[in-house]
Formats: sequence, C-alpha cells, structure tokens
Amino acid sequence: MTDTGAVVGVVAVSLATAAVASRGLRVSRTRDDFLVAARQVPSALNAAAISGEYLSAASFLGVAGLAMADGVGALWYAVGYAAGYLVLLAVVAAPLRRFGAYTIPDFAEGRLDSPLLRKVSTGFVLVICGFYLLPQMEGAGVTLQVAFGGPYWVGVVVLGVVVTGAIASGGMKGITFVQSFEFWLKLVAIALPALALLAVFHHPSLDSVSAKAPAVFERATTVRFSEPTGIRVAVPVRVAVHGELDGSSHEATEGTVLELSAGLHQVGAGASISFPAGASAPTPTSGALSNRQWLSPLLLLGGRSIHPLAATYGIILATFLGALGLPHILVRFYTNPDGQTARRTTAIVVMLLSCFYVWPALLALLGRVEAPGLYLSKTTDTVVLVLPRLAVGGVGERILSALVAGGAFAAFLSTSSGLLIATAGALSHDILAGGVKAFRLSAVGTGLVVTVAGLAVRGSSINVLVGWAFAVAASSFCPLLILGIWWTRLTRRGALAGLLIGGGSASGAVVAAMAGAATRGWPAILVQVPAIWTVPLAFATMIVVSLLTPRSLPSDVMGKLRALHLPEALRQPGLTDP
Amino acid sequence: MSAEDSDSTQSPTRRVTVRGGVQSAGDASSRSVPSPADLYANGAYGETLVRSLMRAQLGVALGVLLPAAAVVITFPILSVLLPGLVKLTVAGVPVTVAVLGVGIYPPLVVLAVLYVRRSAKVEERFVALFDKR
Repeated sequence: MTDTGAVVGVVAVSLATAAVASRGLRVSRTRDDFLVAARQVPSALNAAAISGEYLSAASFLGVAGLAMADGVGALWYAVGYAAGYLVLLAVVAAPLRRFGAYTIPDFAEGRLDSPLLRKVSTGFVLVICGFYLLPQMEGAGVTLQVAFGGPYWVGVVVLGVVVTGAIASGGMKGITFVQSFEFWLKLVAIALPALALLAVFHHPSLDSVSAKAPAVFERATTVRFSEPTGIRVAVPVRVAVHGELDGSSHEATEGTVLELSAGLHQVGAGASISFPAGASAPTPTSGALSNRQWLSPLLLLGGRSIHPLAATYGIILATFLGALGLPHILVRFYTNPDGQTARRTTAIVVMLLSCFYVWPALLALLGRVEAPGLYLSKTTDTVVLVLPRLAVGGVGERILSALVAGGAFAAFLSTSSGLLIATAGALSHDILAGGVKAFRLSAVGTGLVVTVAGLAVRGSSINVLVGWAFAVAASSFCPLLILGIWWTRLTRRGALAGLLIGGGSASGAVVAAMAGAATRGWPAILVQVPAIWTVPLAFATMIVVSLLTPRSLPSDVMGKLRALHLPEALRQPGLTDP
Repeated sequence: MSAEDSDSTQSPTRRVTVRGGVQSAGDASSRSVPSPADLYANGAYGETLVRSLMRAQLGVALGVLLPAAAVVITFPILSVLLPGLVKLTVAGVPVTVAVLGVGIYPPLVVLAVLYVRRSAKVEERFVALFDKR
C-alpha cells in the first residue's frame, strides 16, 4: 500500500528541512537576529512567512476533513482562522509592534509591571502550544499512514524527531524566506489537486450534492474499518470481504467474494471490504448526515445537532478572537519595521489566508461526492490526501499525491517548529535559567512529551483539537491584549484574575472534553465549545476585578499607552519614556 | 519596555484639517500648535492628545469589526429563520457552500484594506497637528 508519489513528497520536504536546519547550525540565532532582520523584511514576504507558519495540519487536512464529516457548518473554522487576522489587524498589530514586546509574557510584564503576570502568561503559552502541537502530531501520523501504509505511530515519531532535532540543533525558525516558501508550497499543494479534480470528475459533482442519489465508488475501492461499524446497504452489491462480517469471519487472504444484500450489516474491527467500480456506497448507521443536514451552515458537533446555534457562535468566538493570542505568531510581527508596516503585513495575511481557505472547502465538497468510503472507515481527515488517487491515474496521480503529501508535511513541520520554539523559548527563558543549553533541553523535553501525547490523541478530529487551542487563547491572552492596549484602567490584579479564571476554565473544559466528559445537551456545548462562556467570563473578570482594585494600577499608564499608540514620527530621542 | 526604535525620519505630511478626533484641550492649550514634547509632559494636555488618538483609532477599528460581526452573527440566525436557505443554489453550488467556502472572504479582504487606509489617515492627521521644528 505504499504510495510512491506521497513518499517522494514527504522525503523531499524532510530533506529540505534538514538542509535548512543544518544551515541554522552555522547561523546562530538569538533575539538580536530578529532585530537585525526586522529592518529588511518587506511586508509581502513577511505576510507569506506569517501565513506559512500559521497554516497547520488543521488548515491543510483538518478543515476539509471536518467539513466532509460534519457538514458545511464546519467551514466556520476556516472563516474564523482567516478572520482572526482581521481582528488582530484592527486591535493589536500596530500597538504591539510599537510597544516592542517580543512575546506575550513580555507584553504582560511590560504593560503591567508584574513579574508574576509574566510567569502566569508563560504557563498559558505552554498550555496553548501543547494543545496546538497535539493535532500536528496526529496529522503527521495520519499522513504517513496514508503515504506508507504503515502504523500511525511512525508519522508521529518521525515528526517528533525531525522537528525536535532541527530546533534543538538551532535551526529552522526565523528564516523568513523558508516560512514564506512553505506558504506558497501549501497553497499550490492544495489548489492544484483541487483544480485537477474539478476538471477530471466527469459528472458535475457540485450538483449531485444536492441530489438524492447515493454516492458511488468511482473506482474499485477497498474500505478498511478500524472499529466495529454498522452499515446500511441500499443496492445489493458483490464485494470481497476480509475479516468479520455479520458475525462470520472471512480469512482468505484475497477475501471472500459474496453478495452484500440490501439492508443492515455489521462489520467487525479490522475488516476490509472491496467494492467494485460503480457500486453505490453504503452509509454508516451512525453519524451519517443527509445532504440537507450536511448543507446546514451551522456547526454540528460530531455530526450531531446539539444546540447548533450555540456551537456555531462558540466556534466563531474562539477562532475570531483566538488568533491574536497564539504565542507563536506574535514573534513574527516584530520583524516589521514599524506600526504601519505591521498593519500592511497583517492585511496581506488576511488576503493570503482567504486565497487558501477556498480550497479545503472545495475538497470537502468533492470528498462528500467522490470518496464515500472515508465515511465508512471514519477517516475523513485524510480526504485531501486520498482524493487525488481516486480521480487521476498514472503520472498525474503520482505528482498530485507527492504534492499533497509534501504540502501536508510542510504544514506540520512549519507550525510545529514555530510552536516548539515558542514553548522551548518560554520554558528556558522564564522557568529555567535561560541560555542555549536550557533552550535545547526544553526543546527536547517538550518534543518528547508532545510525541508521546500525540500517540494518545489518535482518532480525534485534527480540527477540533486546534479549535480547543484557539478557545484557550481567546479566553486568556485575547482579553489581556485587547484590554491592555485599549483600556487605561486595567490593573495587575484584574489581568491576573482574568487570565487565571478565563484561561483556567477554558483549559479545564478542554481537558474534560478530551476525556469525553459530556456528550449530550448543554453540558456537551459548555465542554466542547468552551469559548462561548469562557471568553465573556475572562473579559468580565478582568474588567470587574480591575475596577475593584484600582490600587494595583501599574505605574505610568500614560507612558505605556504612548509607547503603544503614538506613531513613530512623534517619538523623539530624549522624549521617549524613561 | 519602551519605544526602542525612534528613527524619526518623518515623511512630511500635508497639513490636513482635522475634523473631530483631536480636540483642543481646555486651559492648557494656550498655544494653537502643540509640540511633540507636550505629549510627553505629564499633564492633562498630553493625556488628552494621546486619548484622542486612541479614541480615533478605536473608532476605525470598530468601523471594520462591527460590520464583520454583523454579517457573522446574522448568517447562522438567518439559516434558522429561513430553513429553505439550505436548498438554494448559486450557479449550481449550494448557497451555504458558496457563502462559507468563498463568498465571505472578499468582504474580509476589503475590510482589512479599508482599515489600513483609514488608520493611516488618522495617524497622518494626528502627526500633522504638531509643530515639528
């Protein structure tokens, strides 16, 4: 089951990364290197670098996968991922650049004169990066599984080792050109297959989504069932079965050929069924959406309609407000020479992301029509990887497979390296003694923990996991940044209380959701889409506690607001703040 | 934490009449043209100037965020109020896919560009207020 094209793509991206990493060994990177680079990076290049680092496994695989599984409402994630930068542009981009904060803990300490606040912020950097790294690991596991046909853990371990090794040896990050190249690679890797597929499918795919006809296997397709699954067959079909079907096991290596009658059947875990080309696809008895349900613009949690309006608004809150609180993104804004350039860069990011996210939506739609087997095997997260194989033959198929696998791997690499740098930087700088040795130690430690955890999250939706990281960011750093920049009366205690209560309750909810604590009714919404209550709670806490504790107002608030808001033209040496 | 970069190579801006935004600040404004030093002096006048800039910029921010929020908040409700929406198609593409997959992005980009232009203009006007020797 090895896919040569995909293997070539993954290997090419890994080699390129290794090459870049080895260059990084020679060019030592420190905070000051960023400062030097700052004066030279043009907005468009910088914007592509930001987008390159931002587009993760969630965007490349997860959006299309989740939209295919749970319907069009899941596209709110993509809309939010892009719109988050509009919010970032309008409320934080220029002030943060002008303030000179390099990380969120820097901002927290600088704005509110509180080393304690710095420590707490560091804690949330670790939490958010951790939640964000897990789905990257899962994405790698899934991708290599599809590419090599090997076990899931291989991809997780490969990504863990490559990224940790690259970062601990001092490479990867900060090389703006590489990150911006990875953006264009990802864009081409998702747009080209989508366009090719659109051209290749001979019936008008888009129409048949709204039609009643059941989906059809275009090509002979073997579906592997990872868990026991009930299937509903509409049209009798002759299939080859390997493994357990309706209680009897079929162990012949090439499978037993039998007639699958219309009606319900029970497939055992690990079984596989091969369907001939042109066969109508059965639907799983649980979790299958009708076309009408699928087309609903509301978010269906796990494909089920649980207070869908609340779920939709929860995801909108998390993604629109979460982007500005992501720890690995802020650093890049520092490479803008001034506030106005930071704005221009962010606007270009909005443009680039908008160009990207139309493609996962299209692939989800094509997957719904062309890859019904993924519903049966519950592997819709692989739809971007699998689709090219279903439609295109020969050399074209290999090229497209190489492209999507390479693009996917680039997505995990760029995002997880950014996250790992942010984590190791926070750990070594704020918790350990600091220095290069501490940084390497932190990188290796984090890499190890995340790799092990990545093995455990198998089977969760990549996109849902990333959405949780956004929810925590939106409930902690988002209010801290917005109120810190625009509100003069924010106090140390207010900020601290808001961070702890907002971020703490969001993190708690996410942990509960991961443990499968609540799956029905309102408890499910509160736990799985926590932003809907934790974001308002965080803002309210910060404001109310600040008003109650005017004595813990930081000194020289006006000086800080000047640093945040005054255009560069009005800053004069000798007139700047002490 | 401070303004670490201050290469004040100021591009000379046209003198623009400032409407709204920045008001004169009561008693302290005996001079008609403030100087950048007034901003840094610890007094009500400098504070008023900084706050007026912040208020103007916040206005620009809300000017793009509120329309975006309005669209984003209404669309889900609309789909509940008009269940028939789901069945509509635009050029063969289901309308919900057309909106959430493609249609929502161009306005997003327009708002981003609008914000960059407007906020730059606010800053230009603010800088133009000052007497810069």
